[in-house]
Amino acid sequence: MITKKILLSFPKMATGKPMAMELIKTYNLDFSILKAMIDDNIKGTLLLEIRGKQTDIDAGIVFLRENQIGVKDVQSMVVVDQKKCVSCGACTAVCAVNALEMDENWSLVHHEDKCLECMLCVKACPMRAIHTVM
Amino acid sequence: MAKTYQQINEKIARGEAVVVTAEEVIDIVKERGLKDAADYVDVVTTATFGPMCSSGAFLNFGHSDPPIRMAEISLNGVAASGGLAAVDTYLGATQPSQDRGIEYGGAHVINDLIAGKEVHLVATSRGTDCYPRKEIDTWVKLEDMNEAYLFNPRNCYQNYNAAINTSSKRIYTYMGILQPNMGNITYSTAGELSPLLNDPLLKTIGMGTRLFFGGAQGYVSWMGTQFNTACERDEKGYPTTSGATLALIGNMKEMNPAYIRGAVYEKYGTSMFVGIGIPIPILNEEMMSFVSVENKDLYTYVFDYSVASGGHPKLKKVSYAELRSGSVDINGKMIKTSPLSSLKVAREIALELNHWIKKGQFFLQEPIQSFPMANALKSLEIKEGEAR
Ligand code: SF4
Ligand code: SF4
Repeated sequence: MITKKILLSFPKMATGKPMAMELIKTYNLDFSILKAMIDDNIKGTLLLEIRGKQTDIDAGIVFLRENQIGVKDVQSMVVVDQKKCVSCGACTAVCAVNALEMDENWSLVHHEDKCLECMLCVKACPMRAIHTVM
Repeated sequence: MAKTYQQINEKIARGEAVVVTAEEVIDIVKERGLKDAADYVDVVTTATFGPMCSSGAFLNFGHSDPPIRMAEISLNGVAASGGLAAVDTYLGATQPSQDRGIEYGGAHVINDLIAGKEVHLVATSRGTDCYPRKEIDTWVKLEDMNEAYLFNPRNCYQNYNAAINTSSKRIYTYMGILQPNMGNITYSTAGELSPLLNDPLLKTIGMGTRLFFGGAQGYVSWMGTQFNTACERDEKGYPTTSGATLALIGNMKEMNPAYIRGAVYEKYGTSMFVGIGIPIPILNEEMMSFVSVENKDLYTYVFDYSVASGGHPKLKKVSYAELRSGSVDINGKMIKTSPLSSLKVAREIALELNHWIKKGQFFLQEPIQSFPMANALKSLEIKEGEAR
């Protein structure tokens, strides 16, 4: 049993739900929706945490791709642009789980696996060095 | 043995000066003792890189043909002052843009200019007999301007508050985002590396002091606004509250965009990260004693930023060693602490200044005038009725 975060992009949000049901039935995959978004052109994005056997997960992903759904492996939707970051530390103030943390040299480190996708750090960064992938 | 500025400058010229950072000097004093260390070290470099709102640029665009006496001026949509002569302006760092608001403000324009980018200049005027043009719409670059210098009325706070929020709502401040119910503490200092904490009584830093300013060689031009030398101090003289500030001047054309950066504080405004490095001459044992200070001996107070009127209430006196440890005990609860100014970049600046001095590219300037040591803060009274 493994756990994995994936980011799905749908041509139309409406296709999201039935596909997800299919995943559970056919591939024995358990999942939770961490984030769901829809843009102006009704393109949808879902951040899922899926749990299941590696072989089932791989088969599930093939199935999704066959149905024109974009699948991206992500650790976290949050990305820190190292070129813009000055290691001020302002983002660490709002990160409740210390996914953003200062190392012993006072340089920012980003533990993507710990991220809860709360997005507060995006607003907290004065350099606007943090953005989300989508 | 005491040294003079001239003797130290001669050593710099010969490439013999011993220059270390304010962090490195701590161990040197521990190993050699104060007296020997004072003889050995000539200059200690200090630095800071953090948000400093009271900043801005004086610019002169040169005259167009026919000429214009600019009255309303904007650069990339950010309004600049029309209150100077025809083609002079002052662009304030915190001025938001008309189209992007605080996400792009005066500080970002300044950064773009220093980075060599073209900036959109739009100005209007009523037109005069000698300046007939009424509108101008063009693109300008730093290198095309006559003069461009930063003049920052208040930079380099000697010490500063730490912030907490005791209310039940999240608040958005210039001290960053403060989580409800004392969820976090923020602080903003380079501590033992910070310029004015290494010269607490301003014995070597005064009007005319040469320094590292945004990557250029700049100067202290005046005392900074809200200059408070009558502040609370510990028994050695180190301020435990805000203390002194500096007004700085420096040539933008020689600056580096890495050290002058636009910043955005959510629901607060635009600010500017300013990189400053100040060399402290080790003239005697007293100066060596001042620069050997450690974070564990430097204190500030945690203030409650959820109370805005009548001054923020003081919660606790804490050392910078406690703040740097990652958490501070407030009423029996360990509260997470986070910095807002970049120690990493401050260290880079202290090292860069160190290299300039060692290579004989930077010499010390003795202050032309010292600053007053009993200057207290005034506040603004609200008076009603007619002028009196
Ligand atoms: S707030 Fe932004 S600039 Fe500061 S450390 Fe975090 S990511 Fe880097
Ligand atoms: S999204 Fe939230 S949990 Fe993830 S890094 Fe940012 S602040 Fe931390």
